[in-house]
Amino acid sequence: MQKRVLGMMTALFVLLCIVAVGCAQKAPAPGGKEQGGKKSPLGVDVIKIGGQGALSGSHADYGRQMQMGATLAAEEINAAGGIMGAKIELKFMDEELKPPVAQKNARYLVKDWGANFLVGIDSSGSALALGPVLKELNTIQFFTHAGTEKLTEDLVYKQGIKQIFRMTVPVYQDAILPALVFKDMPELKRFAALNADYEYGHTSWKMFKETLSKYRPDVEFVAEANAPFGTTDFSAHISKLLAANPDVIFATPWAGEAVTMLRQAQAQGVFDKIKIWWQAMGGSVDVMEALSTDIQKDAFKGKLWGTARYLHNWPDTPENRAFVQAFLKRWARYPNYSAEASYSSVYALKAAIEKAGSIETDKVIKALEGMKIMTPAGERYIRPEDHQAVYTVPMGRAVWSSDYPIAIIGDLKVVPAENYYRKPPFN
Amino acid sequence: MARTNPARNISNSSRIISLSLLGFLILILLGVPLFASSYVCWIIGNVLILILFAAGFNLLFGYSGLLSFGHAGFYAVGAYVCAKMLMTIPSLPLALAAGVFAAGLVSVVIGFFCIRHTRIYFAMLTLSFGMMIHSIIWKWRAVTGGDDGLVNVPVAPLRVPGLLSIDLGRAENYYYFLLTLVILGIALLWRLVHSPLGLVFQGIRDSETRVAFCGLSIQKYRLIVFTISGLYAGLSGALIIPLIKAADPGMAHWTFSAEPVLACLLGGAHTFAGPVVGAILLYVIKELIIRFTEHWSLILGVAVILLVLIFRGGIVSVLEKGLLPRLIGFFERGVKVDRSPGS
Amino acid sequence: MLKGGVSLDFSTILYQGLVGLNLAMYLWLIAAGLTIAFGVLGVLNFAHGSLYMLGAYFAFSLYGAWKLNFWLAIFLAAALVGVVGLIMERFFFKYIYKLDEAYQLILTFGFVLVFSDVVKIAWGGVFTIPPLPDIFKGTVGILGRPFPVYNLFIISAGIIVAIVIWVLLERGWWGKMVRATASDREMASAMGINIATIFTSVFVFAAALAGLGGALSTPVRVVDPGVGTAVIIQAFVITVIGGLGNLKGAFVGALIVGLVSAYGILLFPGVELFLIYVIMALVLLIKPKGLLGG
Repeated sequence: MQKRVLGMMTALFVLLCIVAVGCAQKAPAPGGKEQGGKKSPLGVDVIKIGGQGALSGSHADYGRQMQMGATLAAEEINAAGGIMGAKIELKFMDEELKPPVAQKNARYLVKDWGANFLVGIDSSGSALALGPVLKELNTIQFFTHAGTEKLTEDLVYKQGIKQIFRMTVPVYQDAILPALVFKDMPELKRFAALNADYEYGHTSWKMFKETLSKYRPDVEFVAEANAPFGTTDFSAHISKLLAANPDVIFATPWAGEAVTMLRQAQAQGVFDKIKIWWQAMGGSVDVMEALSTDIQKDAFKGKLWGTARYLHNWPDTPENRAFVQAFLKRWARYPNYSAEASYSSVYALKAAIEKAGSIETDKVIKALEGMKIMTPAGERYIRPEDHQAVYTVPMGRAVWSSDYPIAIIGDLKVVPAENYYRKPPFN
Repeated sequence: MARTNPARNISNSSRIISLSLLGFLILILLGVPLFASSYVCWIIGNVLILILFAAGFNLLFGYSGLLSFGHAGFYAVGAYVCAKMLMTIPSLPLALAAGVFAAGLVSVVIGFFCIRHTRIYFAMLTLSFGMMIHSIIWKWRAVTGGDDGLVNVPVAPLRVPGLLSIDLGRAENYYYFLLTLVILGIALLWRLVHSPLGLVFQGIRDSETRVAFCGLSIQKYRLIVFTISGLYAGLSGALIIPLIKAADPGMAHWTFSAEPVLACLLGGAHTFAGPVVGAILLYVIKELIIRFTEHWSLILGVAVILLVLIFRGGIVSVLEKGLLPRLIGFFERGVKVDRSPGS
Repeated sequence: MLKGGVSLDFSTILYQGLVGLNLAMYLWLIAAGLTIAFGVLGVLNFAHGSLYMLGAYFAFSLYGAWKLNFWLAIFLAAALVGVVGLIMERFFFKYIYKLDEAYQLILTFGFVLVFSDVVKIAWGGVFTIPPLPDIFKGTVGILGRPFPVYNLFIISAGIIVAIVIWVLLERGWWGKMVRATASDREMASAMGINIATIFTSVFVFAAALAGLGGALSTPVRVVDPGVGTAVIIQAFVITVIGGLGNLKGAFVGALIVGLVSAYGILLFPGVELFLIYVIMALVLLIKPKGLLGG
């Protein structure tokens, strides 16, 4: 009996706590309307942007880069008077690469903290799980990393979840672009894959094979090895592929796994035997930082190719130079693609709000659809059908340049975006 | 654990208090959608599911002394089967039943092997089976969607032909549906624990030989308790689907199996209310931390370490042995109620 | 020809075995400390993977950032992790030996959470990797294919560690006391052995072994805040296959898991992870004391 009294009492107490916390933290309506006084023409003094990305675990740097990019944009905009007089307020949370956590964060940010807009998300699984929630909350989210083509092709184009916008190029970059470049190199005949053993890796390899075999019936896909998420040793995968004597190894493990894999491949003498190692997201700043000394010493013998969803050394425009300089000054690091995309998202949002003259979701969606905006990565065109930002990112070889303290992707091959982005109706 | 119970002699007034507190608690839970934000409502929905998961898990852990690190697997089976069903046939009762049934089936099969061991061997065996389920979900991409999981799962209305049709896509409707099922589930557990069967489970935990001498088959009872807790895990997994409309392989990972363990230990594994309180506590701690800092992992870790070192039997039993007797004593001295033995 | 286009000749199969051996030695370095700590203290330490991670971070700082001599950096990193182990044992673990296993597991799980955030605060969220030491650059031809010098070094390091542990435990006075404590605490205590000191020294030794494993892995594996949880389950699997607390068993377990992974990738792609859990379950069901257990 006593146990029951006690259990219930404690439960009651704790439950009251959670409700109290929930209610106390409940936002005073989006945008802090209660402040009164001089309001901007938008009817609010503050525009709240809620962000989330991986801030813990193996990929903690990706969320951190988003946070840095969005913060820089918000600081610049606020210093210049805000969006139509309204200041931007940011809050960033850890999605932990777990879909349920991403959902929880989004609900918290919108319903409790009072976010008007959302930005971020690293994991494809989180992005897809978030889709229906965004529709329910009727809140716009700019996705700034998650690469799955399903997000825009299925959820936006086929299922009509209009609250989704993606500012980064999806897996087209990892798969279709290299196929279009390698098709013109007749010496490349035997292709092998070291796939990330999850949707991203398998989809990339499939798209790559489909595109390449369309142009080059003579190529062979000779071997495949799959590395699960969190693999710490790739030597068994690499030795399996080498036994098939490939010309090109197409590799999709990313971030720390990519660096581990390349270091082990190098130790195994891979670069004496193959012609090209395609490291899809090899141009990511964290990967370039970690491999700088290797690339400086030419450990990959100029055979390491890669790209990213934005390269800080391209395009050579005033916008990009100014952004990279400002970012370096503020954070003492080079911006990665998730940082650039988050930065550009905030500016795209600013442009859309100014165009719509409102922060209402439906009006901002209308303003964003079909928008063309100049960003550090070049001009982005937000396709109205699938809400995918279309912009060009080149691919190239990992090289050392004395202009930069870290290795970069140089020797660039530029294919215009419209040639390698898949187009509606996505059949 | 010592089974001392110094205060068996609790008066009828305490019984009344406890029942009215229980009533009050349910009343508050019923009122949540009316006065709390939809986020709080959604979070409490999640907490209710973890409560159900942890309470069912505690039947195995606290009442039978078997620590499983594989129950996330059953949770995931319940969730995936329910989601798959909803994507083909729009009937929630059918989907829930299928999820629970599948989880039960899987737990009978796995339980058949696992109950041969106890202690750390049992923990490691359940861990390996749980991770097998995880790797099957991860690899069987055609059916499970691999790491992308199943997304945008439709929620079917609750329909009794000719009688009623409730749209469970609406958050508050589903909240009440969930609350009803969780209360029923907990009540059923309470009955079970206080039935002769429940006594057998505790008997096995405290002394296998004594129970064996009574002519009962230990393994049979272990399999029963394993399956019941697997069914509860499956039901919890199935119930999360309409709430989050998605299923992902993380549901089957061993780190998720640690959540009910944490809930039971924080609250107190040897009490009925322990996992309930622990589940709530776990959510509250993390909810509070993430509002102030991104370093939730550090603070949660420190909290876990301190709780293990200071509140060894869990919050509920610490309060039970220290705070509550004093409180009750104070109350009863105050109102001068007769101390009649037994209750 | 095999699915995936790899031709299966004799040298390919043999070479893959060598790759598996290299894999096995990393696993052995992680599992050895876990096994010793469990065998003597009776605590299965979830945070053992985090100690491995700390070793890697220390080695990165000492060797990669401060440019210390490689060998000195490895040694210091292991020693520093030993110090961390000392603090953990003296201030926390020593209070939980009498508790239920569940509480012990959860306490060590708390340390996993703490360490993953502490390293993020100290080293940042970015993964890190120091350059490969020059003496280990290059390959040697084995079976007509290049094999990394560093992998040969790891294989020999794993064997040397096994010999050192064996000598320490089987031949020295410390080993005698440890073995006595492991087999019967009360009897050992009655014989005048200071159990508390033995426990501390064993835990420090186990922690240093984890640190050594982490330090040795730095030039070829990145270290990031998620490494602790990534390696611990494999270490558990090995410890179980070998028999909880059985060191020789752990060595054999590491060999099995290493070789099954390497050959699984070559011959049964896609099921290698599943296969390892099946082996773990089978061993637990058929020989719960481990393959070499009595």
